[in-house]
Amino acid sequence: MERNIVLQVNNVSFAYERALVLKNIAFSIRQGEFMALIGPNGSGKTTLLKIILGTLIAREGEIWLDGKPVLSYPPKERAKKMSYVSQQAVAGFPLTVEELVSLGRYPHEERFGRKPGEPQAVEDALRLTDSLPLKERKFTALSGGEKQKVLIARALAQTSYLLLLDEPTVHLDLYFQLQVLNSLKRLCAEGKSTVVAVMHDLNLISLFADKVLLLKSGEALAFGKVSEVLNEGSMEEAFGVKVAVTEDSQTGAVYYLPRKPPP
Amino acid sequence: MRRFFLSWAILFVFFSLSLFLALSTGPVRISLFALSARDQSILLNLRLPRALSSFFVGGGLALAGAVFQGLFRNPLADSYLLGISSGASLGAAAALVLGFTSPLAMFTGVSFFSFFGSLLALSLVFYFGSRDGYFSVFRLLLSGLGVGLFFSSLVAVLMIMAEEELKALIFFFMGGFSSASWETAWLAIAFVPICVLIAFYYARELNVLLLGEETALSSGVSTKRIQAIYAVLAAFLTSVSVSVAGLIGFVGLIIPHMVRMAFGADHRILLPFTFLLGGTFLVLCDTIAKMVLAPSELPIGVVTSLFGVPIFLYLLKKERGEYDL
Repeated sequence: MERNIVLQVNNVSFAYERALVLKNIAFSIRQGEFMALIGPNGSGKTTLLKIILGTLIAREGEIWLDGKPVLSYPPKERAKKMSYVSQQAVAGFPLTVEELVSLGRYPHEERFGRKPGEPQAVEDALRLTDSLPLKERKFTALSGGEKQKVLIARALAQTSYLLLLDEPTVHLDLYFQLQVLNSLKRLCAEGKSTVVAVMHDLNLISLFADKVLLLKSGEALAFGKVSEVLNEGSMEEAFGVKVAVTEDSQTGAVYYLPRKPPP
Repeated sequence: MRRFFLSWAILFVFFSLSLFLALSTGPVRISLFALSARDQSILLNLRLPRALSSFFVGGGLALAGAVFQGLFRNPLADSYLLGISSGASLGAAAALVLGFTSPLAMFTGVSFFSFFGSLLALSLVFYFGSRDGYFSVFRLLLSGLGVGLFFSSLVAVLMIMAEEELKALIFFFMGGFSSASWETAWLAIAFVPICVLIAFYYARELNVLLLGEETALSSGVSTKRIQAIYAVLAAFLTSVSVSVAGLIGFVGLIIPHMVRMAFGADHRILLPFTFLLGGTFLVLCDTIAKMVLAPSELPIGVVTSLFGVPIFLYLLKKERGEYDL
C-alpha cells in the first residue's frame, strides 16, 4: 500500500530581486521517504528548503504540506508538522543541552502548564542522536559535531513528521554521519518521519536516500531514485566532475568515486 | 534545583534588607519603629519614593539589558546601544537649557522632555532600522548607533549654549535619585511593572529566538512580532528609567551576565531574577551613595561600578568556559 503524500512542490519559482533562483521545481514525496537534495553551491538548495518551510514565499507555484498549502497553516500548527535544522549553529548563550532540545517542544506547549509526555519526547530525541550523555552540558561548551547532533535532536523533539535538514552531517565524524543518518532512516522506515536533506556526499546519499533531487542553477536536472538520478552523465552535467560509479558485488550498494580533474 | 531555590531565598532576604536600609537611612535619623509625624512625612514623601524609584529603575534597566542581549544574541547589547539614552539626554538638555516647561502637570520639565526625547529616538531608530515593515536586529543596531551619535552632537551644542544650567545637566548625565519624589517616581512605579509582566509572558519565545530567526520561525514562533514587542518594551523601560533617574550605566550590561553565569540562559528564570537583582542592587547602591559621604552624596554610577565591577570580574574569572565569549 502506498503511503500518503506528505509534501508536494507544485511548479515553484523564486527570485531574489530580478535574478531567478528557482525555476519551475516540481516533485512530491510520500510519508517515510528519505529525500536528498543535491546540487552545486548556489544552485538554490537552501532557498528551496526555505520556501518549503514558508520563510520565503515562492513567486510562482505552491507548496502543499499534508494536503493543504503550507502558508495556510498557523505558525504553531505548521511547526507541529514540519521542523528544520539550519546550517549554522547559533545560540551564543549558555543553555544546557536539555534546555535547548526542550525548545523543540515549543509548538506543543500550552502557555500555562506542560502537556504530559513531554520530557519523553526530549529524552527520545536525545537518545536517537546519541546525545543523552550530553544532557547536562552547556551547549556552548560542545564541539562542532556534538552541537550538530543536539540541533538535530531539537528538531526531532518537535515530533513533526517532515524534517528539513540543511547539510545535517557536515560537522560529524564518519561514525556519527552514519549513526545520525541511520537514526533518521529508521524513523522514516517506521513511518514516523519523512526527511528532506541537503547533502553533498554522494555515497551517503546512495546509502540512505530513497529519492534525490538534483538541482543546477535553480532548475531540476533530475528527480527520482538515487540509482536513476546519480550517474556519470548527470554528475558531469551538474558539477563538471567525472565520477566513476561502481557496485559492491557483495552488498549491491552503489559507490561513487570522483576522478581527479585534469591539471 | 536546591541551589536555585536557595538563591531566590537569599535574593529575597537581600531585597528586604536593602529596602529596610534604604528607608531607615538618610540625613535625618529616624526609627522605623517609632515614627513621629515629621518622621512619617520624611519616610512617605522622601525615602519611600526614592527607594521605589531606585528599585524599579534598577530592575527595569537590568531587564532591558537582558532582553536586548537575548534579542540581539549579543553579549554587549544594552539599552544605551539603541540611542535611547541620547534621545533622553537631548530632551533633558533642551528642557534645562532652553527652559521648556512640561505641558503636563504630572511631569517635571526634565522628566517630560527626556521621556519625550527617548521616545522620539526610539521611533527614529525603528524608522531608519526597518525596511518594508520589517527590521533586522543588525539594521536596528546600526540605526540606533546613527541616531544616538546625531543626538549626542545636538546635546554637545546645547551644552556649549548652557550657562548656569550646565551643573543641572551634568547632574542628569551622572544619574541618581537624590531629587526623587513622587512626582518622578510614579512613572517608574506605573510603567515598569507592566513591562516586566509582558517581558515574563513571552520569555519562552525569547528562548526559542536564541536559536536564530529561521529556526525560531520553523518552531512556530512569530519572530517579527516577538522581536518588535521586546525591542519596544526594552526601549520603553530605558526611557522610563532615564527620565526618572538620568543616565545610569553598568546595571543593564552587567547584571544580566551575572545572572546568566549563575543560572544559565533560560529567560523564564533569567528575566525575573535579573529584574529583582537589578532592583535590589540599585536600592543598595543608592543607600551606599547617600551614606558614605553624608551629608553629601556620591554619584550613583560611581557606587554601582565600585561595588558591581569586582563581583562581576570575579564571576567572569570563575566561569568555566561554558559562556561562549
